[in-house]
Amino acid sequence: MRVLLVDDEEELVSTLAERLAMRGITASWVTGYRAALDLVEHESFDIALLDVRLPEMNGLELKRLLEVKRPSMKFIFLTGHGSEEDFNACSAESGKQFYLIKPVQIEVLMAKLNEIFQP
Amino acid sequence: MIRFQGTANTLGLLFCGTMTASMSHEIKNALAIVNENAGLLDDLILLSEKGRPLNPERLKTLAGDIRRQVQRADSIVGRLNRFAHSAGQPVTTTDIKEILEFTAALAARMAAMKGVTITVADTTILLQARPFIVENLLWLCLKHLFAMSTGNQTVQLGAESADSHVVIGIQFDEGVAVEEIGKLVTQEGQPLIVALQADVSVDAHRHLIQLTLPKKFEE
Repeated sequence: MRVLLVDDEEELVSTLAERLAMRGITASWVTGYRAALDLVEHESFDIALLDVRLPEMNGLELKRLLEVKRPSMKFIFLTGHGSEEDFNACSAESGKQFYLIKPVQIEVLMAKLNEIFQP
Repeated sequence: MIRFQGTANTLGLLFCGTMTASMSHEIKNALAIVNENAGLLDDLILLSEKGRPLNPERLKTLAGDIRRQVQRADSIVGRLNRFAHSAGQPVTTTDIKEILEFTAALAARMAAMKGVTITVADTTILLQARPFIVENLLWLCLKHLFAMSTGNQTVQLGAESADSHVVIGIQFDEGVAVEEIGKLVTQEGQPLIVALQADVSVDAHRHLIQLTLPKKFEE
């Protein structure tokens, strides 16, 4: 399973990528939408884990752009906000079960990744 | 005046809501990083129990990372606490630079999300006012800039003395619709402008909005 992590908190995504690698998942990370779009031009991912509140472009908009480039990619949203507005918008995009609120336990994330990953 | 006071309070509530939502999000991010670093420590210990040697330098780095995030969260909570107390603060004499710097700190995360950098000019002028209402009016200027921002912009907050008044300047980059921002701030912020006995003017050539406030507040 190849996972793309997108969050402006570098320390969060880099540590998460290392922890996922320990569990056999290849995870790449970027901290902004431009880098995410660049990366998917050259590499393919099964799942993208997107922060809802990214600088300059929110996670929902980024999801739509990534989908155009990689139609088979699946998405999980991660947010620190947990507002009803975010929940409704993200649930409409990916299903309410794939909307996680920070801080998230690795076991919960692993379960979601395995659930969404259907080879 | 009573009607304006009521709507000034309503604007204050909206200001509080926006700022507390932003700061709680920042705290969540710091906690999420602490959570991942603590989890990584668990993972490394688990691996050591299976025979992989623990690297003390790595552990030191992780402990340092956790400490930094705790300090970060503590600083945000400090800002939140100061902001919460400022809402009920009466008319007081304050250095305008403190108000400008605090407003810039409150808005920093939202500015970063919109690709805007806020700077504060070095200035010292004493102003007698309710700091919360001045911050609220400044926030309206920044909020409308953020809404229009296409990224990679700067805004400078400064102030100068003009006889019995303080003139706060919000200087935008060339190309920003400063007249539109001034119009929106004057409309939305009218109760705050009245409460502060202030005046809002726009200098489109200098990409500048000026808030003129009396140095001494008359009840």
